[in-house]
Amino acid sequence: MDEAISQPQQVPLRTEQDWSARLFPNNEWILLIVIAVECLLFAFSGNNFATTGNAFEVTRLSVEIGLLALIMTPIIITGGIDLSVGSMMGLSAVVMGGLWRDAGLSMPVAIAITLVVGLLGGALNAAMITKLKAPPLIVTLGTFSLFRGIAEGLTRGIENYSGFSPSYLFFGQGYVGGVVPTQLFFFVPAILLFWWWLHRTTFGRSYYAIGFSQEGSRYAGIKVRRRLNFMYCMSGLLSSLAAVIYVAHLGQAKSDAGTGYELTAIAAVVLGGASIFGGRGTILGTILGLLAIVILQNGLRISGQPTELAGILTGVLLVTTILIDRLSRIGVSRITVSEEEFEVKNWQVGVLSGVILVAAFIVAASNWMLVRSIKEQGGSAPAAQSQNAATSTGKKNVIAMMPKAKGDPYFISCRKGAEEAAKELGAELLWDGPTDLDPAKQNEIVQAWITRGVDAIAVSVENKEGISTVLRKAREKGIKVITWDADSEKDARDFLINQATPQGIGETLTDEAARIMGSKGEFAIVTASLSAANQNEWIKFIKHRLAEKYPDMKLVAIQPSDGDRDKAFAETQNILKVYPNVKLVMGIAAPAVPGVAEAVKQSGRTDVKVTGLSLPNMCKPYVKEGIIDSFVLWNTGDLGYLTVYAANALSNGSFKPGETKIKAGRLNEIEVVGDEVRLGKPFIFNKGNIDNFDF
Amino acid sequence: MVRASYTSSSSTTNNMLLNAVNIEKSYAGVHALRDASFYLRAGEVHALVGENGAGKSTLIKVLTGAVVPDSGEISLDGAKIIENSPSISKSLGIAAIYQQPALFPELSVAENIAVGQETAGVFGIVHWPKRKQRAKELLNRIGARIDPEQIAAELSMPQQQLVEIARALGANARVLILDEPTASLSEDDTRNLFRVIRELRASGVGMIYISHRLEELPAIADRVTVLRDGQTIETHEMSDISSSQLIRLMVGRDLSGVFPKREVRRGDVVFELRGFGSREAGIRGIDLTIHAGEIVGIAGLVGAGRTELAKTIFGLVPPDAGVMLLRGMQITIGHPSEAIDLHISYLPEDRRRHGVVLDLPISSNITLASLKDLSGFKGMNFRREKEIAAEYTRRLGVKTPAIYNAVSTLSGGNQQKVALSRWLVTQPAVLILDEPTQGVDVGSKAEIHELMVELAEQGVAILMISSEMPELLGMCDRIAVMNGGTIAKMFERTDATQDLILSAALGH
Amino acid sequence: MATIGKTYRREISAAAALVALLVIVAVAAPSFFAPGNLRDLIINNLPTLLIAIGMTLVILVGQIDISVGSQFAVCSVAAGVLAKTGLPMPLVFVAVMLIGGLMGALNGTLIGWMKLPSIIVTLAMLVMWRDALRWTTEGAWVQGLPENFQWFGLGQNTGEILIFAISLLLFVVFGWSLRNLIVGRTVYAVGSDAEAARLAGINSSNVVFWVFVVMGALVGVSALLNAIRFSAIPGNSGVGLELKAIAAVVVGGVAITGGRGTLIGTVIGVALLGTIGTALTFLGINPFWEKAIQGGIILAALASDVALGRLEKNGRSDLAATTSPA
Repeated sequence: MDEAISQPQQVPLRTEQDWSARLFPNNEWILLIVIAVECLLFAFSGNNFATTGNAFEVTRLSVEIGLLALIMTPIIITGGIDLSVGSMMGLSAVVMGGLWRDAGLSMPVAIAITLVVGLLGGALNAAMITKLKAPPLIVTLGTFSLFRGIAEGLTRGIENYSGFSPSYLFFGQGYVGGVVPTQLFFFVPAILLFWWWLHRTTFGRSYYAIGFSQEGSRYAGIKVRRRLNFMYCMSGLLSSLAAVIYVAHLGQAKSDAGTGYELTAIAAVVLGGASIFGGRGTILGTILGLLAIVILQNGLRISGQPTELAGILTGVLLVTTILIDRLSRIGVSRITVSEEEFEVKNWQVGVLSGVILVAAFIVAASNWMLVRSIKEQGGSAPAAQSQNAATSTGKKNVIAMMPKAKGDPYFISCRKGAEEAAKELGAELLWDGPTDLDPAKQNEIVQAWITRGVDAIAVSVENKEGISTVLRKAREKGIKVITWDADSEKDARDFLINQATPQGIGETLTDEAARIMGSKGEFAIVTASLSAANQNEWIKFIKHRLAEKYPDMKLVAIQPSDGDRDKAFAETQNILKVYPNVKLVMGIAAPAVPGVAEAVKQSGRTDVKVTGLSLPNMCKPYVKEGIIDSFVLWNTGDLGYLTVYAANALSNGSFKPGETKIKAGRLNEIEVVGDEVRLGKPFIFNKGNIDNFDF
Repeated sequence: MVRASYTSSSSTTNNMLLNAVNIEKSYAGVHALRDASFYLRAGEVHALVGENGAGKSTLIKVLTGAVVPDSGEISLDGAKIIENSPSISKSLGIAAIYQQPALFPELSVAENIAVGQETAGVFGIVHWPKRKQRAKELLNRIGARIDPEQIAAELSMPQQQLVEIARALGANARVLILDEPTASLSEDDTRNLFRVIRELRASGVGMIYISHRLEELPAIADRVTVLRDGQTIETHEMSDISSSQLIRLMVGRDLSGVFPKREVRRGDVVFELRGFGSREAGIRGIDLTIHAGEIVGIAGLVGAGRTELAKTIFGLVPPDAGVMLLRGMQITIGHPSEAIDLHISYLPEDRRRHGVVLDLPISSNITLASLKDLSGFKGMNFRREKEIAAEYTRRLGVKTPAIYNAVSTLSGGNQQKVALSRWLVTQPAVLILDEPTQGVDVGSKAEIHELMVELAEQGVAILMISSEMPELLGMCDRIAVMNGGTIAKMFERTDATQDLILSAALGH
Repeated sequence: MATIGKTYRREISAAAALVALLVIVAVAAPSFFAPGNLRDLIINNLPTLLIAIGMTLVILVGQIDISVGSQFAVCSVAAGVLAKTGLPMPLVFVAVMLIGGLMGALNGTLIGWMKLPSIIVTLAMLVMWRDALRWTTEGAWVQGLPENFQWFGLGQNTGEILIFAISLLLFVVFGWSLRNLIVGRTVYAVGSDAEAARLAGINSSNVVFWVFVVMGALVGVSALLNAIRFSAIPGNSGVGLELKAIAAVVVGGVAITGGRGTLIGTVIGVALLGTIGTALTFLGINPFWEKAIQGGIILAALASDVALGRLEKNGRSDLAATTSPA
């Protein structure tokens, strides 16, 4: 070879990587700092945050999303995405429940078949993506609807499989050696397996190559299609596995399992440094990203901060990390491929972003102020603070109270009463709950309260089987437990504050309908979501009552509103047209009734009446116009008020099992039957009495 | 020999169109350009040559405003351009046509020509018939028969280039920059392009012409400026300088013997095609044998089916006729991985998209085709990977400080060496090279040729596709000429001449 | 012309699906076509259509916005709160558009100028706006709106006509501009190839920024037009709206990779997906299957893309290679 041509290397060739590049190939250390800061903050602001028990609980809660995030990592590394994982959890959950309960298969067989279903679902995604070459985002958007839709269709939304054997539930609820949550024995090996697969095998290497260049990888002899097929099939399989653990964790299988989990999983992976354009990302990053999110949620709860803050901070964290990443990459932009250049100078962007952010804040703040001021005007006058209550015990009780969903107007009206009572008693009220109906979140919050240490916990239970385990645990720790609005298993709580039984509600609603309709004719129901447990229970009793007492009344349709007023509106319009003989439409979710009423009003059908279960303030205008004849509810403020009084008395020891009466402030004496505190019968609101209520 | 200086020589400044003085630009501390100066007259074709990484692309980007220089100034007609940007330079009549045509694949030809050129503001109304008419006129002016309503994605590469030229014409470009326009053109298309360039020159457009094909410069360029290491070295009248002088200026040293071809004893037949064809690839009835130690060249125009033949052999396109034999055994290849298992390798034409994975480290790129060999029971053998990567990086002289750097940090020639390393690792028995030296600087080119000879000496059967006639004539033992999807003629090294090959390629 | 069939191939197949659905309904439940029902159906789907128009722009320019549902909720509440301060309705209209535009500008800044991936930015915004709204309103509804809020105080019939007119106007303006204004073609150019657009002197970052601003403003209009149909405003509206809009746009034949698609397709997509729910009720099919059918339609739309022989957008040199020999 010509010496002049092949020059010797001018600099010695480095063949070793820096330790930092090897350990943190993707700047994962940033997340370590974020997590450290979080831990430090919460260790000071929260009670018992930095304990072994809490550490284990945090990991337990992250297992299902963690499994999804693990498989999402290679998917995002190849430049793809899978939005269908959460829906696949829902489908898997009901398939497993159905196979076990309805088909009578043994649990292991049911689980095995469920995993196969997951695999098949994944195969559908894979086929669409690799065979039809369709973009993963759209394919999985389609299967996102399809899987959830099949789950709802199969169970008709109402099936709720529960009563699984304890040996199965142990996988999701038990402890090995008394401290280590069982599912960690699945999760930790899964992490190691994925780490090995992605970072230590040639298989994993090929995913990175595919992520940077699919075509280039094919030219290098990598079986791109086969790799992608395998990955999307695995995604289905892992979603099923996550569902199996989820069901064991909650003790129930329903079509809404895993709703919204795909977004959290994606957020964790991206927070962990994976690039949505493909090629970059690590398992370590994903796990750290996941931890950063769950520690934030857990820490805020333990510090008694509102749940919403977690969402906001997660969003901020997400944008900030990718922004920092982006800005740090500009400095070291490559020489040969410098197509991407900033046209606008950095400072200009900075100023502009600043201006926009400030403007956004001003808008947000003024909105906040306005909303607040309106609420002040409209809200009831704050109750006079009682001076004597707090001094009698000398100790300030911490009462943690949880609604099913924080944003629900029904629970918001309960909160008012609860706060009033807390003020009178001088107790500290922690009010927190899931932002949407989410049984898994309820468990997490109770767990956080146990860790934090409170005197009493009062829960409006979304899922009986799921929450009872954790409530029992709270009792073991000496915390008094009350359920209100909806009950758990009897041995998991001290008392139930019973405003009305499902039977009572169902019967009252039916009787009201019968009264309005004259006990005959057709009527329709607009419910919450098709999988809403309460509503389905009520509908069951409505049907009972109809069969028993009102043979001439016919329930022609049950349409979902998803708790959305606008959807209730549209569904009612359809009902009125498809079933022209309907005499009455019954809305059985608080936001549904005004939607139903508005639709009836706009249709001009004065012969159709509206009834249901809702809040006075929402319905007042319609009641006055005569569109809503009457509706059913109890005094929600009193419910909250009574709950706090009971919880306080219970933790003071002034109220014990076996008593027949409880003194509750302005409500005077309330009857106690066995372990139930009875608020009274459901109340019927109508034109005559509606002005007396403001909640 | 004139050292470029722009203060004196009043005779040249008279029709000076574009003048760039002392341009400097560095990325992350690395100088891409330093003290680059040159000027362009109206109505001339000014060639810009230099090795890859010499700074040609950056200089163009500075001129078109795509990149802001750190210092230096550019003036057009004596007026200084301040705060340059793509839209400003465009409005001043500076247009560029890049190696990869920058058209909008989803939009029609007429729209592609019109985008960014209509005088109406952003809220102006599009006049569709006028657009179509204008596109037709512009395309006619350069003699391109393209339907203005066709979608750009459906055009061939040369057609796309013609559309770009029409677009530049439409923008009343006074300065037209052509960056390797002939890199992927056949001889025929090149000739057509040159005709268009000459017409433009006659109408007073100044053109900056960048090419690695030094042999085509005398035919088209008036003057030539050599760039090396970000500096403009010298400017000459094209007629005053020879190819070898240019090469010496570009590399800064003498190159002895551009083609290091050595005689190798022809061994047994290693690879054979009989009646081989694929309807999908547009090739048919191909008979071909390659012996051990032999370099067989494939010549032909773009679209003759050369790359398609290589892709079909390699399993990227399924064949549907004929047989393929390796050492006398019939083989079928359904996927590149099967080809690799049989030690058949293919260095693809499009280096950046297919040859390497730009964002992966050099080490991963080198081992990407042989991952199977690195896979063990406990996972991947990283130590072996490191050894292989270091060995080939050194052996092929890839200029890089570390094997874990991304391939995108390398110059074109070094990227090609990495792409080649990948296939050498697989120990090929048959090596298909598709335009192995396209867009590669002169130094690297010679190194790649040397390597090919070494491989042939080791008994590898090499099939080389090339559009560069001297390369084919200089390197190959036999040359197959393709036309219309099949092999039209086969020449022995001693019989082949440029004229014979070209006429065979044209189907005469 | 033959080119119309080719250019609007995807729109035609979506329209065929819509016609098929309507024929089935016409046979099985003719009462579906009662004027009253069609009117309700149209009015109910107009807010989605407005969002889908914006989403079409966003997807044409090669991005995606999954934060529109949360922005919709913020705008709805803002509309109510502003109206309660006694601001005249036209001003409320403008203010809500501004608020929407501002939220869009935030997306636009991060995506257009900071070059962050749109799916991640808008995922963050989806969570942030929704939770910020929950935090401030605590789920409360805006009630006791002034008399002139519902239907702009014009009564139901006039109000519905007004809503329809505004939506139609916006649809026509956007549809026409996308086809016939330089700025509309610029959106296509940037979505087709942002780098090529930059080289053609188009400021791609600017285009992306403004597309997001327009998206936000349209969310504002949509939220307001939806809100004035009622006498109170819930704090949690618009959940899942982003998926509805994206699905409609994709079913209507807009390429998710950008640069290809029309508003005609989008309106067909909205009509198709918006009709299904109502059609199911009329056909007496259980509403439980609605989601599954919607998912099936999206997948069918994708499959029909392939059946129609549409090529994926994957670079140009491959295309050059497949052209027949000269």
